[in-house]
Amino acid sequence: MSRREPQFNQQILVDTTPMPDHIPKVDEIGTTSAPLTSAAYFIGDRCKAFNDDYMKCKVEANGRGELECLKEGRKVTRCAASVLKDINTHCLQQFNAHWECLENNNHRLWECRKAEMNLNSCVFEKLGLKKTIPGTPENVVPVHLRPKQQYAQYSGPQY
Amino acid sequence: MGVPFEALIPYGIIIGMFGVTGIGMGAVKYFSNDGKQARWNRDLWDRFGLTILQQMMERDYRLTGTKRGQSTNVVAPKGFEVSNPWKLEKRIY
Repeated sequence: MSRREPQFNQQILVDTTPMPDHIPKVDEIGTTSAPLTSAAYFIGDRCKAFNDDYMKCKVEANGRGELECLKEGRKVTRCAASVLKDINTHCLQQFNAHWECLENNNHRLWECRKAEMNLNSCVFEKLGLKKTIPGTPENVVPVHLRPKQQYAQYSGPQY
Repeated sequence: MGVPFEALIPYGIIIGMFGVTGIGMGAVKYFSNDGKQARWNRDLWDRFGLTILQQMMERDYRLTGTKRGQSTNVVAPKGFEVSNPWKLEKRIY
């Protein structure tokens, strides 16, 4: 997209030089993969504008996105952090249940629909964020709301 | 002409060793996954490895210190922001 990805990389480099002082600091997200997967659609719901803005900036920066889109990137990080903080504050129990289920099921969302329904309803009540899957056709039930999950270990009614 | 029992001892040992292998492999899998179900069919985005850049499980390792550890902390521990690996490649032209 905005820069050429390295091909056939055989090594990695860890550069421990911190960012220079004139660049404003932002705390990195400390949430790991399973909770991030669980919260992804809520982050997408609240932060869509920031995320789209960042991607647009990267495309338009024409290869210099790492330098020129730092401001947009900080907004993306702060917005995601705000969503995770709210979920941690208001829906921690359902959140933990869902990501622990994901962690035990190879991070497959369709194995954990019951926990997901609890989390979705809690987040919608407390935070007003709604899970929508982008690109779902108008005339079908979104896959996370279907009672039967075709590929789940138990494919019958989930809740 | 019965078969003397000594003739069957090697077979007993062989079959017993299958069991030892199975228990040993199971134990290795259990402890390397912190008692959780193993991840499988992962792609480069998910995978764990310290030589080539691999993404999410390696990031989990840097955040929590264990391969399968998870955390819901909003703020990363100090030093995480400078431990991010860059991909290197040989020059091809």
